[in-house]
Amino acid sequence: MNPILTVESVTAGYGRVTVLHDISLEAGRFGNVGLFGPNGHGKTTLLRAISGLLKPKSGRILFDGQDVAGLSARAIVGTGLIHVPQGNRLFPDLSIADCMALGAYSSRARPHEAENREKVIKLFPKLAERWRQRVRTLSGGERQMVSIGTALMSHPRLLILDEPTLGLAPKIKDELCASVMDISRGGVPLIVVEQDIEFLLELTQQLYLVNHGAVATEIKPGESLDHGEIMSMYFGH
Amino acid sequence: MSALAEILFGGLFQGSLYAMMAVGLALVWTTIGVFNFSHGVFMMLGAYVAWQLVELGLPAAVAFPVAVVVMAGVGWILQASVVRPLIGRPNIVLVVVITTLAAGSLIENGALTIWGPRSKQIPALIDGNATIGGVGVSLHQIAIIVITPLILAALWMFLNRTRLGLALRAVAQNEDASHLVGLNVTALYGLAFAIAASLAGLAGIFMGGYRFMSPVMGSDPLLKALIVVVFGGISSISGPIFAAYLIGFFEAACSYYFGLYWTPALLFGVLILTLMVRPEGIFASRSRGLA
Repeated sequence: MNPILTVESVTAGYGRVTVLHDISLEAGRFGNVGLFGPNGHGKTTLLRAISGLLKPKSGRILFDGQDVAGLSARAIVGTGLIHVPQGNRLFPDLSIADCMALGAYSSRARPHEAENREKVIKLFPKLAERWRQRVRTLSGGERQMVSIGTALMSHPRLLILDEPTLGLAPKIKDELCASVMDISRGGVPLIVVEQDIEFLLELTQQLYLVNHGAVATEIKPGESLDHGEIMSMYFGH
Repeated sequence: MSALAEILFGGLFQGSLYAMMAVGLALVWTTIGVFNFSHGVFMMLGAYVAWQLVELGLPAAVAFPVAVVVMAGVGWILQASVVRPLIGRPNIVLVVVITTLAAGSLIENGALTIWGPRSKQIPALIDGNATIGGVGVSLHQIAIIVITPLILAALWMFLNRTRLGLALRAVAQNEDASHLVGLNVTALYGLAFAIAASLAGLAGIFMGGYRFMSPVMGSDPLLKALIVVVFGGISSISGPIFAAYLIGFFEAACSYYFGLYWTPALLFGVLILTLMVRPEGIFASRSRGLA
């Protein structure tokens, strides 16, 4: 299988600070991709560069053969590359219904609005109960469901999740992990940043350790690794 | 009876004008997070464009809507030239105060150069007078009192019942997330300015129909609109609307009982009191967002 997303020697940062140093990776060749690594080493910056929130200083980002580096976030959403940012801040004073309508804003997603809404409700029945409620009144787990639901409304061809389980209670987290597995089984390839390595090992087929703004280690399918090895990657030898 | 009628009428009338102005300020603040100090100039320019069109021979029924549309364009251009290039800077709020003040000053003096200092007047919406509750009022003012709530209701419907309005409210709350659902954030910023400018222009047309126009006619309404948004809270558009009418009634009552001389001092007293007791405004929640 060809990779759906290829990041080629991307350098990016904020102002004079360079966060990503010539980073390269591929996604979609073996299935879902997991990114892990210490905080502050460029995972979120990489995702922001991929989704167009941040313009890379150099390098190419190929999505399904098309170079999307430097395109506007709006144009990238139009290609079906959808990014769920970290921290479920979302739109605090909009209702769930409003968020779903916004998710289907792009002309690519609009024709599939009803069908995608069904999918979201099936995946997160809890949201249907609170359909008219403002996002700020929801729990952390529910807000994360709204974030992911909004992204599904955008009719993704590739879904990027940035720490979907951050700050959630263990029980809620398990439910959410199960839902993310469901999305994957539904045929949408995923790129997931996650601190919970167990979850990543279960969900993804290929892992990248991002360290100091570059890929420190790639773990391909078939290459097993145990908990101890990952810990030593995190914390050094 | 006639005292009450006079205050009620004066309050409704002034409140209508303040509401039209304040809503535009609030719309720009909630979506872009900047304060537009050229808002008063939009009002003036709307009136002068309407006057010019009438002078060219267009009937008022054509000239006024055209002037409002022209003002939408002016708002868009102003946003693109003195606000958009600064978006993303850390000190944007302060910088935009300066750039919009400067742009306002340029436009004001431009108007002075083009149209001269002589006072002008544009036709009233409806000619004639009526007596209600013992108070003589012009039909023009009655028309303003009736039309303004309709326009504000239409704006509310647009923001709350259409997908484009939803997008404007979304941009107000989270810019990054708006990008990630594919909203054209730049265009929405332009739209917010365009709507604000056309509402201000319409307020100017209303005002030019019963009072003489001058290039500085926008500065006093801007000041009043500032009091309104501080009083009512700038983080929504419904807050400033209610506040505009309250301030209108308060002003009418003050000038009836204490005279015009004391009215500004009392208004600023209310402003200071609001800032001390409830600095986010009396109708505001603590977050930013249109509704």
